[in-house]
Amino acid sequence: MSEKMKVTYYPGCSSEATGRHLDESIRAVMPEVGVEMADIEDWNCCGASVGHIGGGPLPTLALNGRNLANAKKQGNEHVMTPCAACYLNTHGSNLTIRDDEAKREKVNEALKAGGMEAYEGDLKVHHAMEVLVNFVGMEKIAERATNKLKGLKVAGWVGCQTVRPFAETDDGGNYDTYEEPEFLDDITRACGAEAVPYEKKTNCCGGSVAVMKPEKTLHLMKLLLEEAEKAGADVISTPCPLCQTNLEMYQDAINAKYGTNFHIPVVFPSQLMAVAFGMDPQKDAALQRNTIRAEKLEKLAKK
Amino acid sequence: MTAAIPATSRTYDLSFARWVRENVKGGDKMNLCMQCGVCSGSCPIGSEMDNGPRKTFMMVRAGMKDEVLSSTTLWNCTSCYRCYVRCPRGIPVTSIIQGLAAVAAKEGYADKEKVSNYYFSKAFWWSARSFGKTDERLVTMKYFFSFGLVEGIKRALANLKIALGMVKAGRMHIGMPHSIRNKSQLKAIIAKAAELESKG
Ligand code: SF4
Ligand code: SF4
Ligand code: SF4
Ligand code: SF4
Repeated sequence: MSEKMKVTYYPGCSSEATGRHLDESIRAVMPEVGVEMADIEDWNCCGASVGHIGGGPLPTLALNGRNLANAKKQGNEHVMTPCAACYLNTHGSNLTIRDDEAKREKVNEALKAGGMEAYEGDLKVHHAMEVLVNFVGMEKIAERATNKLKGLKVAGWVGCQTVRPFAETDDGGNYDTYEEPEFLDDITRACGAEAVPYEKKTNCCGGSVAVMKPEKTLHLMKLLLEEAEKAGADVISTPCPLCQTNLEMYQDAINAKYGTNFHIPVVFPSQLMAVAFGMDPQKDAALQRNTIRAEKLEKLAKK
Repeated sequence: MTAAIPATSRTYDLSFARWVRENVKGGDKMNLCMQCGVCSGSCPIGSEMDNGPRKTFMMVRAGMKDEVLSSTTLWNCTSCYRCYVRCPRGIPVTSIIQGLAAVAAKEGYADKEKVSNYYFSKAFWWSARSFGKTDERLVTMKYFFSFGLVEGIKRALANLKIALGMVKAGRMHIGMPHSIRNKSQLKAIIAKAAELESKG
């Protein structure tokens, strides 16, 4: 697609904290490839993957209903989010509101209690990666990537939730597969870098369980690092804010527990794109926000 | 000649399975389960689960309500959706596990020792409800201190280095939590939703 696409943007809570560099780099690169973004007015948290336990299923649905109803008011049919968990919640809730009449009525009753208009589930919710694949296309990214990342070896770790469970469905935009997604390596190559073979592409790092009880999931993250090291990767690229933070911040704990010596930078594909687009390494690529600095990528950045 | 049906000491209590079928999201598909084990075999965190999804579904059918709702399977699921997309019968396994966890939380099955995740979820929800946003700092601290003062300090110190690294990289801020503007609206919406949920 060569025309411009307008999306209402849902940054998610991590965009203001541990995932700031995802948010900043997405905001930088998307307009460069024709995606115009406007934030959802006064957006709230989606409940992540634990809202159903802490608050219950219907209150979680209502949280998402409020965001969607606000997006609806802004008049644009496309909603886009870069966070896997935000996407699951927002997209899943949207489908529930659209298809389940009883739940829709309850959500709308709750929205009414907050003085909001009813929402029917008629927006389309997209993951940022799906937008890159389906609406932008790799050619456009490659064309815009004037500062090719020559010699950079990238292990593409998609993580689990970005492609599951919606990637292979019509409602999810059908942009890739659950088991062997290719989009991340495609983006790496469009940026002029080398995608090294990485079998553990869709492995789970432990997700929110890793945040709560890291000792239960360090072995999962160790597998991911081992394979990246074996493949000779300079950096691991992942689209998910929680994946990025988990794999970066637990490397010390893994080294302490297993006597390993991992020190592998974990970056977002949008950071790779910002550097490949020749944009500002700090303001646009937000490379200073990686606690394990991606030195090789920093060297490739235009000053 | 037909043999007599053997007498069994145990009877199946179908009311729990029926209840799950009618009240848990995706539960209506559970009776399609053929016990093939693809779900449990695919689970990345099976080592931290007592039963895993396949056995859990069998236990639901067998009416083992207490065992199901106090099982570690519900609390250690990372929601990776691998079972969900691989199940040959198209059963939304993850949704059912999540739904059972919500029931267990509501009915007081969350045992403090086994299910720290429950406290994390509570802390998380508290932040979402109070500010409309998740403040990772406050959620983590509230979660740590739900284990008591000494344990809270211990855990907070163990994570200090990570936290300082995050502050330095500008990924953790110092100061008031981020918050949405219209908090009273969000509160009213959540309160109504909670009321409707408790009515069933
Ligand atoms: S999933 Fe995480 S980052 Fe996304 S909105 Fe929800 S809490 Fe915030
Ligand atoms: S953070 Fe872990 S659990 Fe979440 S999507 Fe990424 S890999 Fe999966
Ligand atoms: S994969 Fe599906 S059919 Fe097989 S045991 Fe699991 S839930 Fe049942
Ligand atoms: S969704 Fe939960 S139960 Fe299913 S494979 Fe992942 S961790 Fe295991």
